[in-house]
Amino acid sequence: MTSKNINMKKIAQKIASLKQEANEIKAMSGGIQAVDRNIDRILAGIKMLEINISDLVEILPDK
Amino acid sequence: MTDTEKYWNPILETLPQEKLRQLQLKKFQGIFKWAYDNSPFYHNLYRDAGIEPGDIKTLDDIRKVPKVKKADLRAIQGKEPYPYGSILAVPLEQVTEYRQTSGTTGQPVYHPETWQDWEWSAESWAYILYAHTFRDYDRVYLPFGYSMFIAFWAGHYAAEKIGCEVVPGGVLDTEARLLKIRELKATALMATPTYVLGMADTARNKLGIDPAKDLNVRKISVAGEPGGSIPATRKRMEEAWGAKVYDSAGATEIGHWGYECEAQCGLHTNDAFHLVEIEDIETGETITEPGRKGSMIVSTFDRLAHPCIRFDSKDVIEWSPIEKCECGRTFRLLHGGIIGRADDIKKVKGVLLAPGAIEEVVRAIPQLGDEYEIEVTKKGDTDNITLRVELLPEHEAKIDAVREDLVRELRLTTGLRYDLEFRKYGTLPRYDTKAKRFKDLRK
Repeated sequence: MTSKNINMKKIAQKIASLKQEANEIKAMSGGIQAVDRNIDRILAGIKMLEINISDLVEILPDK
Repeated sequence: MTDTEKYWNPILETLPQEKLRQLQLKKFQGIFKWAYDNSPFYHNLYRDAGIEPGDIKTLDDIRKVPKVKKADLRAIQGKEPYPYGSILAVPLEQVTEYRQTSGTTGQPVYHPETWQDWEWSAESWAYILYAHTFRDYDRVYLPFGYSMFIAFWAGHYAAEKIGCEVVPGGVLDTEARLLKIRELKATALMATPTYVLGMADTARNKLGIDPAKDLNVRKISVAGEPGGSIPATRKRMEEAWGAKVYDSAGATEIGHWGYECEAQCGLHTNDAFHLVEIEDIETGETITEPGRKGSMIVSTFDRLAHPCIRFDSKDVIEWSPIEKCECGRTFRLLHGGIIGRADDIKKVKGVLLAPGAIEEVVRAIPQLGDEYEIEVTKKGDTDNITLRVELLPEHEAKIDAVREDLVRELRLTTGLRYDLEFRKYGTLPRYDTKAKRFKDLRK
């Protein structure tokens, strides 16, 4: 496995979709803590994906 | 080896320098705006300094941003929102973790983290442990107390993130920890240099275990003290354990900001998570060239509850002359790790004395034990330095020759004269985490 040929823009789009899905689930939860708190943890993980991938898309437009 | 086997994030860790700087500027602008908008402490600090988020257009503009000292953080805390005070940049109910500094230099600083901040800490540590060759097949033993002090907490979660099997040493004493390391055949450790040496000493002298031969630990990640980058201390640890020792550096307020790679030619600054600057200790002038020591000013990106922007860490560091590390990482390199703390580097007899230089001398003399103690006193107008060391029991007959070696090496390395006291082996204080070996009693 190598990172050479990955499509960062596409991965970043998927990360954005994940984030949107997670926020939508939270909005639909009716305040069920078992949903909201687990979504918060998922969103924290998604933020790490943004740091590792999405934040780089702007400075690496060709990748 | 492919790049995904070598780096935690091969894209980020090998970004061209100009792209890294671009990323750092963007990240600094982001955290600056976050703090300005959400933390009353930072808002007031920047308003009083006449600086707003839109004013940060280049990396040079960052130098206009006021620095923050540990004393500032101490002054804020204990007030509402309790106990963090006005620095807190998220609603209190979003704080999920409380930690605090070790208290080595005074009242501990309280540190709040949101769940995202906690995840961030583990992520930044994952870069470090991966560079230290920790992998999913490792069984990692953490021999620390899991208390309020942040210590290796984030290292624990980073090792889990990498996929390692993590064994928490917790409240066991040193002997019980060593027996568990042997029983489980742990392959990796995380500890302070002091404790790595202390454990080896206990293993040999109390349990009859030779860590290099009888245990399976082959990689050790050290932090919390400069020892990992002091060659004589590293050599002692590596020989005692038969393991490769890797250094890293961090602090509760700022996270873990620096790490060695396999090439071991200095600490890489973790440029994706931090902006590290160096300033002249006396003048405050920014140091960009290698070979000049200064105080580290560090900013932490993407950490929301307790932003740390241009924090005056008091760690003394210098840029490395090596422009390109052979590991392929483009994160900047420091020469020799943390040289000391600005607080500890004192003028003694008119000369700047760094305790790390004395440690390098003591631990390079094989007849001496690992422990030592430095005490500076004043007799009349004259500074006096007492150095206490332990002679290993099997070398007691060689005391005169060892004294001669020690005097000569100390003079060559530090240019100073010392009163030497040889103590019976095992009588100087032992430490589990951060050691306090330097005492300035002149005040």
